[in-house]
Amino acid sequence: MSASSASSRKTLSKIACNRLQKELAEWQVNPPAGFKHKVTDNLQRWVIEVIGAPGTLYADETYNLQVDFPEHYPMEAPQVIFVPPAPLHPHIYSNGHICLDILYDSWSPAMTVSSICISILSMLSSSTVKQRPEDNDRYVKNCRNGRSPKETRWWFHDDKV
Amino acid sequence: MQDQDVDVDVADAAKETFTSSETDDWKKYKDDDIMQQHSAIQAEQAVKVPFLGDKEPLSSLEAEYHLGNSIVLEKIKVLSEQYAAIRRTRGDGNCFFRSFMFGYLEHILESQDHNEVQHIKSNIEECKKTLQSLGYAEFTFEDFFALFLEQLDSVLQGSEDSISHDELLCRSRDPSISDYVVMFFRFVTSGEIRKRSEFFEPFILGLTNTSVEQFCKSAVEPMGEESDHVQITALSDALGVPIRVVYLDRSSCENNSINVNHHDFIPTSREVGNSDVSKTTNRPSITLLYRPGHYDILYPK
Repeated sequence: MSASSASSRKTLSKIACNRLQKELAEWQVNPPAGFKHKVTDNLQRWVIEVIGAPGTLYADETYNLQVDFPEHYPMEAPQVIFVPPAPLHPHIYSNGHICLDILYDSWSPAMTVSSICISILSMLSSSTVKQRPEDNDRYVKNCRNGRSPKETRWWFHDDKV
Repeated sequence: MQDQDVDVDVADAAKETFTSSETDDWKKYKDDDIMQQHSAIQAEQAVKVPFLGDKEPLSSLEAEYHLGNSIVLEKIKVLSEQYAAIRRTRGDGNCFFRSFMFGYLEHILESQDHNEVQHIKSNIEECKKTLQSLGYAEFTFEDFFALFLEQLDSVLQGSEDSISHDELLCRSRDPSISDYVVMFFRFVTSGEIRKRSEFFEPFILGLTNTSVEQFCKSAVEPMGEESDHVQITALSDALGVPIRVVYLDRSSCENNSINVNHHDFIPTSREVGNSDVSKTTNRPSITLLYRPGHYDILYPK
């Protein structure tokens, strides 16, 4: 993890480029329900529109996810944040950072952008209360220097939401 | 024992210290400090131990314990009757897979056993089908499979792409190859466990109290997750490659006699290549030394 977090902005390796092209092609044929990839010519940063699932607290609300790919994707996790305004959720900070294990320690190259999206939507859908994490202010203040969420040591203590 | 832990698994030891401290202590540390310290420890470990070290005489193992536990020293003596050398691997959670990678490719390089290569290739083809049938998107694993097959072909001599032993060692130390091969094994292992989930479920429940799927997601597929009996059994079965694991720890027998235990993982579900287990010694071609939390490669005399 050390040498190339998403914030270092190195260009994609050949193998990363190759993989992302395949992922994008697959996405275009078979996008996850509730998500829309906003087409740009930048393979290294995807912006994805999310629509809250019907029957949940976020029904019909629209948010944007920003996905930045590191040089050694998929060996390293992409950086995934909500573009503020981020949904009000106990695991989502107001600066858009998301507390979700698969984005950090539990990332595996077997996962895809599409599987991340599905996990995020499921995290939104299972929420029973619209509120920020308890430590939101402290955390967001700490991130003012432009720190990437991948440089945070996350604690994943709650697997209910 | 302490010596060993410090030498072998600095990063893991550090991880434990951090996570076991209580939240109150935590507030003293800023994330930045901890992350920096953590990556500093990893970097230090990287300088000290490459992914795979050079072959060392078994006496270097003895030297490691010179002030240590007498049972371990006795056991090393017993080991040295059968084994000549050790090759250390980095304690980064991938040591089992990395040891297996090097042990297997080195074995093929030295034996030039084309039958074995055919045999593993047909098993790899099966693994691919397993992953497809489990619903893995092909693009998630195909690059990793291709990279391993490339390494397999290149250790066979006589083609333009053939590589020497030195080059094999170089590649095994290069993350852009080595980590990909480790990940290939993780895919294969996960596929095998999920495919035979009824068989593996009781072992997994005993270990972690999680479902087979959760186990694969959290303890097999992410890089850096350590391997245990379940993973070794699955990999050995899936690829049809027997593996011997020799256990070196402080336990002693009832009558105070010193024995070094080993366990042979012999693939059950697939046909084993004839040459995998030498007929005369009935011994797997790949031998790993296990010390609590870590695997290295052992070389028989």
